[in-house]
Amino acid sequence: MAAAGPSVFLLMVNGQVESAQFPEYDDLYCKYCFVYGQDWAPTAGLEEGISQITSKSQDVRQALVWNFPIDVTFKSTNPYGWPQIVLSVYGPDVFGNDVVRGYGAVHLPFSPGRHKRTIPMFVPESTSKLQKFTSWFMGRRPEYTDPKVVAQGEGREVTRVRSQGFVTLLFNVVTKDMRKLGYDTGPSDTQGVSRPSPPPGLPL
Amino acid sequence: MAEVHVIGQIMGATGFSESSLFCKWGIHTGAAWKLLSGIREGQTQVDTPQVGDMAYWSHPIDLHFATKGLQGWPRLHLQVWSQDSFGRCQLAGYGFCHVPSSPGTHQLDCPTWRPLGSWREQLARAFVGGGPQLLHGDAIYSGADRYRLHTAAGGTVHLELGLLLRHFERYGVEC
Repeated sequence: MAAAGPSVFLLMVNGQVESAQFPEYDDLYCKYCFVYGQDWAPTAGLEEGISQITSKSQDVRQALVWNFPIDVTFKSTNPYGWPQIVLSVYGPDVFGNDVVRGYGAVHLPFSPGRHKRTIPMFVPESTSKLQKFTSWFMGRRPEYTDPKVVAQGEGREVTRVRSQGFVTLLFNVVTKDMRKLGYDTGPSDTQGVSRPSPPPGLPL
Repeated sequence: MAEVHVIGQIMGATGFSESSLFCKWGIHTGAAWKLLSGIREGQTQVDTPQVGDMAYWSHPIDLHFATKGLQGWPRLHLQVWSQDSFGRCQLAGYGFCHVPSSPGTHQLDCPTWRPLGSWREQLARAFVGGGPQLLHGDAIYSGADRYRLHTAAGGTVHLELGLLLRHFERYGVEC
């Protein structure tokens, strides 16, 4: 009985939300979630999480460290809709309200190996100065009702944002059966630098 | 049929003299290519950087092509515009780059240019804004009729594009 080839491939990603750089803000926490296409389904691990609140270190680095673990496995039949991780960072304003300090998103890397990504974080901005003052005063800043909007390309042309920080993420990626299905994901190396891969069929 | 997935982001732009920037992008392919899923063009949000001078868009690109031939490899064309506080938009640069042809993740820096007009138009642009624009967008990514243009350099658009190829070895294509 001939074994049928696999029709589904797996993507296993683990890693962490390592740290953030926000020069103007302190006492931040972050939430992450994943956005993926219709052909994708999570099979294991956590799809979302909320980190601890971190303060800037007193030394010259001014580092905001979360060291927050990410561990998720997806299965899919089609690379279209490749999962993206969406991060939202929140912190207190001068009146003590919890306001959003940044949204950001990045695709999970698809070549196996270790990857480091530093993503910019932005907040939506009101257009009029009066609205900016009112939202600062009342503690109700403009924010997205669903952070997953950040992972989509449509509908962005009407939004104004301000980028004000960065978050560093580390990923280790393992895939299963992508090559059997005919996909070539390129060289897997830890530096993320493109190198030519050896031609197939090279005699050992 | 071989398949190509382009998965990545338009990260942002540096080197432009204006600060509130957005980018209109599109992908142009030859006749042998067919877009199976994804949106072929779009427009990013307007970003005003608070830290540093790079405008960040992080605009996701996820495209799935099927192709019967290598001709007409996809080209990404970009128009960077700036928006002032009154909502008026002014052209900051045009640019294009080919989607990479080897699988894996690539960091791309796409330089941009903008058409210069006569000295009158340049003076008007400095004071009032506006300035000449291309009538037909295909001059951005094609070489025909470029000899008529006199342009100045704009800033650089930074992209991170990942490429996933399927069944290319079946057809003997090396990349």
